[in-house]
Amino acid sequence: MELQKFSYDNRMTRNFAIATIVWGVVGLLAGLLIALQIFIPAMNFGLEFTTFGRTRPVHTNAIIFAFVGNAIFTAIYYSLQRLLKTRIYSELLSKIHFWGWQSIIVAAAVTLLAGFTTGKEYAELEWPIDIAITLIWVVFGWNMFGTILQRRTSHIYVSIWFYIATWVTVAVLHIFNSLALPVSFLKSYTLYAGVQDALVQWWYGHNAVAFFLTTPFLGIMYYFVPKVSGRPVYSYKLSIVHFWSLIFLYIWAGPHHLLYSSLPDWLQALGTTFSVMLIAPSWGGMINGLLTLRGAWDKVRKEPVLKMFVVGITAYGMSTFEGPMMSFKTVNAISHFTDWTIGHVHIGALGWNGMLTFGVIYWLVPRLYNTKLYSNKLANIHFWIATLAIIFYAIPLYIGGITQALMWKQFTPDGFLMYPNFLETVAQLIPMYTIRAFGGGLYVTGFLILVFNIVKTIQAGSFVAEEEAEAPALHANSEIKTQSETWHRFLERKPIRFLILATVAILIGGIVEVIPTYLVKSNIPTISSVKPYTPLELQGRDIYVKEGCYNCHSQMVRPFRSETERYGEYSKAGESVYDHPFQFGSKRTGPDLAREGVKTGKMYKPNSWHYNHFIDPQKMNQASIMPKYPWLAKKEIDIQSTPAKIRAMITLGVPYPANYDQIAINDLKSQADSIAKDLAAAGIQTESNLEIIALIAYVQRLGVDISNKPVKK
Amino acid sequence: MQTNEDQKVNEQNGSHQEVDDASQIKYFGGHEYDGIKELDNPLPPWLKYIFYITIILAFSYWTRLFVFHDDNIIQRREYAKEMAVANAKTDVAVKEEASRAAAAAPLTKEQILSDGKVTFDKICFVCHGKFGEGLVGPNFTDDYWIKGGRPEDLKKVITEGVLDKGMLSYKSQLNNAQIDHVIAYILSLQGTNPPNPKAPQGVKVEK
Repeated sequence: MELQKFSYDNRMTRNFAIATIVWGVVGLLAGLLIALQIFIPAMNFGLEFTTFGRTRPVHTNAIIFAFVGNAIFTAIYYSLQRLLKTRIYSELLSKIHFWGWQSIIVAAAVTLLAGFTTGKEYAELEWPIDIAITLIWVVFGWNMFGTILQRRTSHIYVSIWFYIATWVTVAVLHIFNSLALPVSFLKSYTLYAGVQDALVQWWYGHNAVAFFLTTPFLGIMYYFVPKVSGRPVYSYKLSIVHFWSLIFLYIWAGPHHLLYSSLPDWLQALGTTFSVMLIAPSWGGMINGLLTLRGAWDKVRKEPVLKMFVVGITAYGMSTFEGPMMSFKTVNAISHFTDWTIGHVHIGALGWNGMLTFGVIYWLVPRLYNTKLYSNKLANIHFWIATLAIIFYAIPLYIGGITQALMWKQFTPDGFLMYPNFLETVAQLIPMYTIRAFGGGLYVTGFLILVFNIVKTIQAGSFVAEEEAEAPALHANSEIKTQSETWHRFLERKPIRFLILATVAILIGGIVEVIPTYLVKSNIPTISSVKPYTPLELQGRDIYVKEGCYNCHSQMVRPFRSETERYGEYSKAGESVYDHPFQFGSKRTGPDLAREGVKTGKMYKPNSWHYNHFIDPQKMNQASIMPKYPWLAKKEIDIQSTPAKIRAMITLGVPYPANYDQIAINDLKSQADSIAKDLAAAGIQTESNLEIIALIAYVQRLGVDISNKPVKK
Repeated sequence: MQTNEDQKVNEQNGSHQEVDDASQIKYFGGHEYDGIKELDNPLPPWLKYIFYITIILAFSYWTRLFVFHDDNIIQRREYAKEMAVANAKTDVAVKEEASRAAAAAPLTKEQILSDGKVTFDKICFVCHGKFGEGLVGPNFTDDYWIKGGRPEDLKKVITEGVLDKGMLSYKSQLNNAQIDHVIAYILSLQGTNPPNPKAPQGVKVEK
């Protein structure tokens, strides 16, 4: 057999590893900042850019796409070459991929802080950045498939199955969820509205967790766990079964983010049941990871990398059990909108993604620099700090989440809410938030220890840019089917067919759920009294989205007595048909706002209350943890953008009268004047062209359309 | 490089070995990727059973929903049921409470005021200030009243609200006794001089 000599390109692995570390620091610090802001509202330092509503998307995007994203690329660029016994396909594509991705991250951070957002969680980036992500993702795929097609191995290993599924699914999710109509360079409206938008968004959001935070990391696990432990993978058969069942079932489970919302019952049922069916496929991954370590437990005792892998994989097992439990409607009725969810996702993020990434970095960097890790002891310390941090982080949120949910639901014997004041339930959480921030601080500390350890390691070693390797050429008879070849073995040597089959598997769930929701009218019964927003309200809504109000306030009254007593009539699907984007929210750090404007309702407050409250919530309510928004009373509404926005809405199917864009500005001004006049009557002198006026107009419209006496506009 | 040597050792062993030493399980023939081998273990039976059970659960749930239209998982019916049960329970509780209140000794003035303060600190302070000094809502400590200062005037405002001004109706949040007690507490604030009082609104009412 003729041995061919070649070399592995380590440059991109190194670059992505450094980027992982740098963005890790940024993402974790952003997380720590918002963890503090949630009980010390002044921690935004009085700046609009650093308010919770804008910083939280920076934290989530930085952790998911910058920290975890770069970690994925680090591991893929390393393992792909070695698993396929070939050099990476193109150095140029690698470079474009690396620098493109980093520029996207910088653009994301800047635009999010400046308030440019689509208002869809984990997909907040505006359309030019979305297009850039698509292009860079294609470059990444091109480079990966180029490498796969020039391989010297006959078959592709299970890690690569997961990389392929990741690539195609993230592409599909990103493109379809991001479809939007641009209004200006950094403002667009999503093509979908209301319940349909919610469905597409959580099809995306849930599967971003599945195919960005889970499948690539399973691929990483399948390479690094056997590699570091020197043990064979526990079960090839399990790999096959859990891979295909996981990717097929995952895509259906998105609606579990919308249980008890105005999403049709049949979709909610699919969300619940497919989540439950995911337990075994998810655990298949955990078992294959943990049981690969059978016979290597003595090594686990000594090797911090393996310890991190064990805790990471265990965290994966825990959160993939907890997730299906939270998808039961009875459990979800308690967990949803509370900090329980935040605790849940951080078991996955801090445990599974964090620990695996740390392990990979500690193992990889010394190899890239041809040296030993500077200090195993520090890595061990990091392991223990990070493990403790996860406990300190999650447990208070579980306690707090359940406590708050039970308080929301508590009635007195004579049928009144025991805690009608929402703030009372928030006050209970402050100690929990404090402990959580401590846990977060510990996790950051551990990561800084990693940074020190890795810097020292890099200083001690010398970088091996080209790693020599040799392997026999792929000979022709590997293409010939042997008699005993199983169908899957056949697929493993046909990567393009593998890709096609994986694509089919991940498309089915989305197609079955999304298309009927559009085509079958009974899914979204229309309500004739629901009318489009006035121009001022539309501008106010854009400010609501811009300031990220949806990060703390839901607009979805669930059909529970405890919610209809607190907020008013439960939300209907037909109410949000003009909402581009939907603003159901996923967390109630503050109360639900779906019925805020209903004059005869339980939530109504006068314009003057809102005015004072936006400027200084603590003046209205000492215990409030909402940040102050004084700039809303200084910044002017971008009135000139109104006609374009109205035209965009008309294009999206919102029934404004013909040529309404031409008179929209006049309508906007007269509504603003009447609000200013009302404020003046309450003793507040203000200009009528300010953002705060538009935002007041918007919140006073919420829920009004289906109330008994619609307010005449 | 250490890794290459690791690999070579693994590769050499692999080419001769068909069974993993530690577990005595067979390797899958011909599988080797960068030194990683795969064992021929079956799926753990218990995991398979969990999978089957969850699939059965899913089908039974769909049957309940799509075939039998089970009230317990169609949420608007679930809500109607919850409300009916709660209303029935509340009716009983209210009657019991009324008969108990009738039988019990009347509350002392202190008890009434402290009960009223509980309600005030829960609800009213948001707009009327912690000490009744007034915020968005009017000041309770001066002699001026917009809608009248008699207990029955206050009761009307609390139960019906002054919607134009942002005062809600609280009849669905407070029972009769709570409303009476909070009125007593509000009237007890008259003449106190809290910091930052809101300017008088309405008509002066002589005592």
